[in-house]
Amino acid sequence: MLTKFGSVVALVISAILFAAQGRAQVLNSGASPIALNAVLPDSITLTLSAHAVNFTLVGGSANNPGSTGITATTSWVMKPSVGTLNVYAFFSSSAAALTDGAGHNIPSADFQISDNGGAFAALTNTVPFGGANAGLQVSSVPIRGYNKTGTNSDLMTFNINLAPLPNLPAGVYTGTLTIQAQAF
Amino acid sequence: MKTGRISWAVMVGAALALSASFASAQAINSTAQTISLNAKLAETLTLNLSANTVSFTLSAGSATNAGSAGVTATTAWVLAPGRNNVNVYAYFASSTAALTDGTNNIPSSAFYIKDNTSAAAALTNTYAGFGGANAALQLANVPITATNRSANRTDAMTFNIDLSTGTLPQLPASTYAGTLTIQAQAL
Repeated sequence: MLTKFGSVVALVISAILFAAQGRAQVLNSGASPIALNAVLPDSITLTLSAHAVNFTLVGGSANNPGSTGITATTSWVMKPSVGTLNVYAFFSSSAAALTDGAGHNIPSADFQISDNGGAFAALTNTVPFGGANAGLQVSSVPIRGYNKTGTNSDLMTFNINLAPLPNLPAGVYTGTLTIQAQAF
Repeated sequence: MKTGRISWAVMVGAALALSASFASAQAINSTAQTISLNAKLAETLTLNLSANTVSFTLSAGSATNAGSAGVTATTAWVLAPGRNNVNVYAYFASSTAALTDGTNNIPSSAFYIKDNTSAAAALTNTYAGFGGANAALQLANVPITATNRSANRTDAMTFNIDLSTGTLPQLPASTYAGTLTIQAQAL
C-alpha cells in the first residue's frame, strides 16, 4: 500500500517536472497587429489609334471624308457609386473648328463624326468640355456591377460638310479635335 | 456624459458619410487626347461646253449667217483669297484665218459671238496667252468677292459669220473649217 502511494507521488512529481520543463522551452512576445489599407482608385484612360486626319475638300460638297478613321479605346476602374461613363468629342470653338488663319473658318456644325458605323452627327452640343455648341457625346456606357472595370471602343470616321459653306475660299484649314471621357 | 459622447460619434459618422458621398459624386475625367485636322480646299477653275460643234450654212455676201446651235460655257471655280477676277475668253489662233478652206480665209473680225444678252461682237481683241493677236473676245469678267469665291457662271453663246464686208463678198464657194476656243482665267 505504501508502495502504491509512493508510485503515485512519484508520477505526480514527474508530471509536474515535465510540465515545468515544457513551459521553459517556448517564449512568446505580445501580438503586434499591422493594419493593411489597399486603395484601388477610380481611373479612366483614353487612347487613340492615331492623332491626325487629312481632308481633301471639294468646294460646296456635302461629302468630304477624312483620310482615316480613329479608334478611341476607353478603359476604366470605377467605384460602385459611379453610374455612367461618357466619351465626348469637342472643339474649343464652335465658330472656328478649322481655320485658315485668315478669317475663313469651318464651324463645328459642319464637322461630323460617325461612331461605330452610326449616322454622322455634327458637333453642335454643349458638353462638359470645349466651347459652347462645339461638342458631341460620342458614346455613353452605363456602369453596373458587372462592368465596374471595363473597356469601350469608339471607331470614329469623319466628314466635313461644305454644302452650307458654298463660298469657302480655297486654302488649308487646320484644327484640333479633342476626345475625352468622363465618369460620374 | 454618455449621451454627449454618442451624439458626437453620430455627428462624426454622418460627416464622414456625407464626405464620402460628395467624393463619389464628383466627375472623373480621362486625359484629353487630341486629333490634328488638316483640310485642304484646292483652287479649281473648270469650263465645260454644252456642245463642241457648230455648223454654218453660208450665204455669199450676207451679213447674217447664223450658227446651227448655240453653245453654253459653264465656268466653275473655287478660289483662294487674293483672286480678284474670273475672265472668260473666246479666241482663234489666227486673226486672218479663223476659218479656212486651206487657201481662202474667213478672218476673226467676221466671226461674231453674242454672249447671253450682250450685243454680238467680233473677235478682234488681243489678250496675252489667249490666241493670236486681234483674234479674241472677252466674254465675261466676274469680280471675285468674299461672296463668290466658290461659284459658277454660264455664258450662252450664239454665233454668226458676216460675209458682207471687205473682200468677203467674193469668198469662193467651199468648205471652211476652224477651231474656236473658250477658256477662263482667274486673276
